[in-house]
Amino acid sequence: MTEWQHQVCDANDLLLDRLILDCDGQPAGMVDDLELTETPGSALVVSAILCGPTALGPRLGGRIGTWWLAIGRRLRPLDDPYPVRIPFGDVVALDRRQLTVRRPGAENKTWRLRDWVYEKVIRRIPGGTR
Amino acid sequence: MKRLLSLALGVMTAIGGFVDIGNLVTSGVTGARFGLSLVWALAFGTLAMTLYGEMSGRITAIAGRPVFHLVRERLGVRMAMVNLAASLLLNLLTVAAELGGVGLALYLASSISYILWVPIIGFLVWFCIWRIPFNVIDNVFGLLGLALVVFVVALVRLHPDWHAMGAAAIHPVVPAGEGHATWFFYAVTLIGACVVPYQAFFFSSGVIEEGWSEKNLLEVRVNALVGFPLGGALSLGIMAAAVPVLEPRGIEVDHLGQVALPVTAALGKVGLIIALVGFFAATFAAAVESALSSGYILAQYFGWTWGKYRTPARAPRFHAACLITVILATGLVLTTIDPVKITVISVALGAAAIPLTFFPVLVVANDREYMGRHVNKGWVNVLAMLVFIVLVIVSVATVPLLFWTKAGQ
Repeated sequence: MTEWQHQVCDANDLLLDRLILDCDGQPAGMVDDLELTETPGSALVVSAILCGPTALGPRLGGRIGTWWLAIGRRLRPLDDPYPVRIPFGDVVALDRRQLTVRRPGAENKTWRLRDWVYEKVIRRIPGGTR
Repeated sequence: MKRLLSLALGVMTAIGGFVDIGNLVTSGVTGARFGLSLVWALAFGTLAMTLYGEMSGRITAIAGRPVFHLVRERLGVRMAMVNLAASLLLNLLTVAAELGGVGLALYLASSISYILWVPIIGFLVWFCIWRIPFNVIDNVFGLLGLALVVFVVALVRLHPDWHAMGAAAIHPVVPAGEGHATWFFYAVTLIGACVVPYQAFFFSSGVIEEGWSEKNLLEVRVNALVGFPLGGALSLGIMAAAVPVLEPRGIEVDHLGQVALPVTAALGKVGLIIALVGFFAATFAAAVESALSSGYILAQYFGWTWGKYRTPARAPRFHAACLITVILATGLVLTTIDPVKITVISVALGAAAIPLTFFPVLVVANDREYMGRHVNKGWVNVLAMLVFIVLVIVSVATVPLLFWTKAGQ
């Protein structure tokens, strides 16, 4: 629980499933899950935003969630840790609708599927490079 | 003056956009089979779509959030995933039904089998998504769709017994020889034809495609509050025109061509040509819109870049999703499955799925942090709750009715 403008609200109300915008205002993914870290005072703080299928899978739960996680894990480059982590320090602004991060989307690993689809499909269709 | 023109254009395209293969088929079928005894279902469906369409458009204009963002935000990942899967499947059936509808319209005009047209139409639908600007599609096909007003002209020329028709509409009774279950099943299809999920997704995403914000609230609201009811009235015209021509002769509509019979009877070949132009425009536009909707909801669930206002290179996943939808739908029609049957089943299932989409819309329309002073008024909430309760009952009843009546046979 955090104090937010004198109102008590939880991360569910405030952060989960919100749109992430990059520094150019482009959608860079959704807040699929949160990473909480225990501080010395044994309080939990949000240390990172987790994105992508390996973050969403566990939240979906059940067999579908397990599959989702497995597919995401197998499709990522082998040496990549999962899930995609955006340190909370990179968040420059947030409200109940969206949050903005400091880096451009292209640096974000959440755009890997986007880049793959562009390279393998869209770029090869006439007019796709516009 | 310019504002007035743009408002009028918006309303006209909203009318054309409201009517699609679902309305054409269900209005024709029910008019021929049940007379005007199901007008109440059409009126209810139009009311529901107008009410929730206005809300979702208003939310998108004020808060900048399209409907499927709200679905994920307010239903949570799991229920939203259920909604996403159901809506994608329904969109696929809808695109297939619309493609079949365009094919049938071209078949009626050319006598070349609709199956041969379908791949060409599929390609053209994708090409429109790929290349043609959003407002060009919206305006051109929306305006051409107004050709369907020819049904209202035909109705007047047929000199029906207005008094008897009015009485039948106000005092609905199940016609002799028809079961209650079948009657209610067709009521569900009429409701479903008005509240198709893709129309809600398309209308709200369209607000962002047009670049509209709070200062365009008037356009958004007029489109929904005037355009949708007039679209419902047009569906009513198609239904009513079937009554004096098809019902007394016991002609059952199982082909798009039979929907146009009243126009041919009243206005001859010219009328038929105009009706076919209307069929073509309404179904083609709806094919484009429902295929786009698949891209919209996937992108909005997963936080992808989306929209026709972005070039394909800037929204590759969105464009790939639209392309895959069109390919799958074209494949589905090419299995020679009856397009009219797909239509009836898809609108019935659409009525069952819609509460999952409308619930988050109603919740957010009351959220002051999102809407500021544009939250729902009290009476809107009362009406919207009543509509929602009926829609939930419809959604529970749909699947049993579908199997019980074997999709209305």
